[in-house]
Amino acid sequence: MRAKAIRPLSVLLLVLLMAFPAAGADDFDRLRRDASRISSLSADFVQKKSMKILSKPLVSTGKFFYAAPDSIRWEYVKPIRSVVISEKGASKRYIASGGKMIEDKTGGAQAMKIVLDEVAGWMKGKFTANPTFTASVHEGPETVIVLTPTGKNMAGMIEKIEITVSRKDAVVKTVRIVEGAAAETRIDFLHTAVNPALPPGTFQDIP
Amino acid sequence: MNVRFLLILSLLLASCSSLPEIRPSADVTGKRSACPSPFVAQKTLFIHAIEATVAGETRAVMIGVTVADPASRTLSCALMSPEGMVFFEASRTPSGTNISRALPPFDEADVASGMMDDIELIFFEPTEPIERAGVGDTGQTICRRRFPKGGWLDVGKDRDGRIRIQRYSEGGRLRRSVALAAGANPYAAIELQASEWAGYSLSMTLIESEAVPDEALLGK
Repeated sequence: MRAKAIRPLSVLLLVLLMAFPAAGADDFDRLRRDASRISSLSADFVQKKSMKILSKPLVSTGKFFYAAPDSIRWEYVKPIRSVVISEKGASKRYIASGGKMIEDKTGGAQAMKIVLDEVAGWMKGKFTANPTFTASVHEGPETVIVLTPTGKNMAGMIEKIEITVSRKDAVVKTVRIVEGAAAETRIDFLHTAVNPALPPGTFQDIP
Repeated sequence: MNVRFLLILSLLLASCSSLPEIRPSADVTGKRSACPSPFVAQKTLFIHAIEATVAGETRAVMIGVTVADPASRTLSCALMSPEGMVFFEASRTPSGTNISRALPPFDEADVASGMMDDIELIFFEPTEPIERAGVGDTGQTICRRRFPKGGWLDVGKDRDGRIRIQRYSEGGRLRRSVALAAGANPYAAIELQASEWAGYSLSMTLIESEAVPDEALLGK
């Protein structure tokens, strides 16, 4: 269950780094301080899933919202709508069924709760405290944070995660999750807004 | 005593089933070309949104990717969550099934094998010859095949154009029922009903499909 939860966790957690300024190799403390200045985030995203079976990447699009201290909405719009909401320690997942959104009450929802509980910790800048990954920073034309699994429990699931951060405007441009030689998930963030006023009801249950 | 006997008898009768009757029809009988054949004719990739229902309750919504190659009768498939998490990946050739990834509940051999059977039923034309063809009780076309290892397969077309693929046990009990969309692309909408001890249904809506040229494989 834990390994199953790690991948979406990683995606969400890394997205939460979107507004972290570019950092030096040993500057995770500064990242943590900068995280505390973020009160809200919003962005569109385009996800491209590459697999051996696919002749071209499977493209998904959606929206992401965050409000301090621990409210998250991760919403896929296409090709299938799904919404994960974490608010005040409770997490829910909704899926499209029969033209309406219904709450997912299967084990998948429980997995997402584990995911989002850990997200809250990362939102406080504790992303190096997660023993699941080793984090390192590589400076270049852009800053790349690389997360590498520390244990074998993720073997065959995730080889590494790369977060590309713009040095110019200090926002994450891309998250790349490498699952193996022939499979990866790349998420490009667009229209990122830091500390925007979020629409009312962003983190409320979907009726 | 009589009441109990009648109750048991009615339950037994209700549980018994038989193959649908096929009546001869001048339009179908003896004309194999009148039998519907919706199956994949060339190597094709399908991406479907899949809604799985158990006991009338939606249990999962997922994305299914299938590559079906009728020439070699090979299937490749992947199932992933709407968020992109892949929980099942497998391929099947005439020589066997290879599962490269299977998270619960797909790590159960019966579940994985049954799913590959379902996919094969949907996309591949059976190799068995048609034994009987005609019309059913509502005037629908039915073309029947028999499996060498036991069981029957009916492929028919309703009067509204929907194509039905129905697999029966040797004794005539309906095991799988697949309804394909009427119209130019039968795989635009697929409804599968499994009648097992734990019955389930799959509702599949096409997201996209494309023919896969053999050249595309050369680099893989």
